[in-house]
Amino acid sequence: MIWPAFKISLVVVSLATVVVGLSGTAFGFLLAKRDFRGRELLDSVLTLPMVLPPTVTGYYLILLLGRRGWLGRPIYELTGWTIAFTWEAAVVAAAVMAFPIMVRSARAAIASVDPRYEMASFSLGKSGFETFFRVTLPLARRGLVAGTVLSFARALGEFGATLMLAGNIPGRTQTMPLAVYEAFISGEDRQAQILSVVLTFTSIVAIYATNAMTRQSRTV
Amino acid sequence: MLSVDIKKDFETNGRMAFSLRAHFTADRGITVLFGPSGAGKTTLLRAIAGMVAPDEGKIQLDDCVFFDSARSTNLAMQKRRVGFVFQDYLLFPHLTAFENVGYGIRAESEKARRERARQILGLLSIGHASDRYPRQLSGGEQQRVALARALGSDPAILLLDEPLSALDVSTRLRLLEEIINLQRKSAIPFLYVTHSPADAVRAGDSVTVLSEGEVIRQGKPSDVFNAPSSLAVAHAVGTENILTGHVARHQAEEGLTWVDAEGCRLAITHCQLPLSSPVTIGIRSEDIIVSCQRITATSARNLLQGTVTHVLRDGPEVHLLIACGANLKVRVTPQAVEALGLRPQTTVYLLIKASSCHILA
Repeated sequence: MIWPAFKISLVVVSLATVVVGLSGTAFGFLLAKRDFRGRELLDSVLTLPMVLPPTVTGYYLILLLGRRGWLGRPIYELTGWTIAFTWEAAVVAAAVMAFPIMVRSARAAIASVDPRYEMASFSLGKSGFETFFRVTLPLARRGLVAGTVLSFARALGEFGATLMLAGNIPGRTQTMPLAVYEAFISGEDRQAQILSVVLTFTSIVAIYATNAMTRQSRTV
Repeated sequence: MLSVDIKKDFETNGRMAFSLRAHFTADRGITVLFGPSGAGKTTLLRAIAGMVAPDEGKIQLDDCVFFDSARSTNLAMQKRRVGFVFQDYLLFPHLTAFENVGYGIRAESEKARRERARQILGLLSIGHASDRYPRQLSGGEQQRVALARALGSDPAILLLDEPLSALDVSTRLRLLEEIINLQRKSAIPFLYVTHSPADAVRAGDSVTVLSEGEVIRQGKPSDVFNAPSSLAVAHAVGTENILTGHVARHQAEEGLTWVDAEGCRLAITHCQLPLSSPVTIGIRSEDIIVSCQRITATSARNLLQGTVTHVLRDGPEVHLLIACGANLKVRVTPQAVEALGLRPQTTVYLLIKASSCHILA
C-alpha cells in the first residue's frame, strides 16, 4: 500500500507542479504587469480554490469534467474517455488546488522587480519577450522557485478534491494522503505512521527551502 | 538634431500638480538640461526615451519621429535607439559587468559581440572588472559600466540623468571629463541632466534651463550662468559666476596661481594643479566690488575692466551683468547703482580678491 501510493503521488505531484509552475508564472505576470478591466476579479477567481473547502472545489471539477460535465460530456462523446477516477484526475485536482499559491507567489515576485530594469532593457533595443526571459524572470527567480516549492507541497498534501474527482482506488488513484486515511480507517497504524512521517519530512524540507530562498532574495 | 515640443499635465487627487511645457532643441555635442529638483528634468528625459507619453506635442530626432500627437505616432522605446544612463545605474544585478555591456550589443555573431563588449569596457578603462557583478563594483565603476552598456547598443542619442550625483567629488570630476571625451569620440548628441552649475558649465556645449516644467532659457553655458538675462533665469541658475579655464602659471612664493578663463586672466589662491590642467572657477556675485575708477592700490589681486550690459532689479538688490572678456554677474544695492550712475554701456572696474575665486569640485 505504501509503495504504490508513493509512486502515484510522485508522478501526480511532479506533473501538477510543472503545469502549475508554468501556468502560474504566466498568470502572475499578467496580474503583475498588465492593467486590464476585471484584473482583481480574475485574481479573486484564481484564488478561490485556496479558500473554498477542497470538496467544493472537487465538486465543481466534477461538474466541469465529469462524464456529464460542461467540458466532460463533449470529451466523452468524442473519445469515449472520461477523466473521472483516473490518475489524470488526481493531477488535475492537485494542480487546481496548488495553482492559487503559485499565482500569488509569482504575482508578488514579478511585481517586486523594479520596472526600471525592464525600461533599461527596452532602451537597449530588447523586445518585451526577450526582456521577460532575460531580465524579469531571472530577477524574480527566487520568488518563483519559492512559489513552486510551496505549490509542490500543496499538491503533495491534496486530499479532498482528489477524493471527489479521482476517487480512492489503491494502485490507480490512491495518493499518499488518501493512503494515510485508508490505513487509519482499516486499523493499519504502522502504515499510517510511515506515510505521515514521509509527508511531514517532505513538508519541512519544502518550508525550509522556501524560507532560505526568500531570505536570500533580500540580499541581492 | 533633437527637437522637442511637448505638454504633459500631472494630477494628484484630481488637482493639477505639475505641468510640463517643454520646447527646445538639442544639436550635436552635449546639451545640458539644467534646473532645480522638481523642475521636470527627469520627466522630460523619460518622455524622450519613451517611458512616458506626453499629452500632446512632438518629439523628433533627425528624420525619426518619436512622438507626434497630431498623427498618433508613439514609437516604441525599443525602436527609438535612445541610450539611457540612470542616476542609480540600474545595472542588471544577475549579470556580470561584461554581460551587462554585451546585453545590448547588436552583433552578427557571439564572437563579434564579445569583441565589441571588450572594446567598450576598455574604452571606459573598466576592462579589469569585466567578470564582477554590479554589487562587487564601486559607484564610479558601476557608472562606467552603465555608460558602456548604453553606448554598446549603438544609440542615436544618449540621455544621462544626473549620472554623477551619487559619486564622491574626485570620481565625479574624473568621470565628467571622460563623459566629455566620450561624446567627442562617439559623435552622437548627449543630453545631460544635472542640477550642478559647475558640471553644466564644464560639460555643456549648450544649456537649457528648466524651471517649474518650462524651458526658460537656452544658450551657451557661460552666457546662461553668468549673464542670466531675466530674473527667473537668475534665480534658477543661482548667484555664482562659473568660469572654465586652464592653469596658466604658478607663483608659489606669492601664494598665487593664474588661470586663463574665458578671456580673463584671474589670480586665485595658489593650488597644486599641474600647468594647463582644466579648472572650473566659482566667484559669488556678492564677492565682486564695482568701481567707476581704476583703483590700483588695493589688496584685491584681480582688477578687470568691463562694460555693464544689463541692470536687473530684484527687490532689495540689483543684479548687474558685466562683460569683461567673460560675462560676470554682480550683486549690488540699489543705492550703489544710484551713486555710481550704473546703466547699460557704463564702463566699470571689477575688484576680486584671489581668495574669492575658488576652484569648484
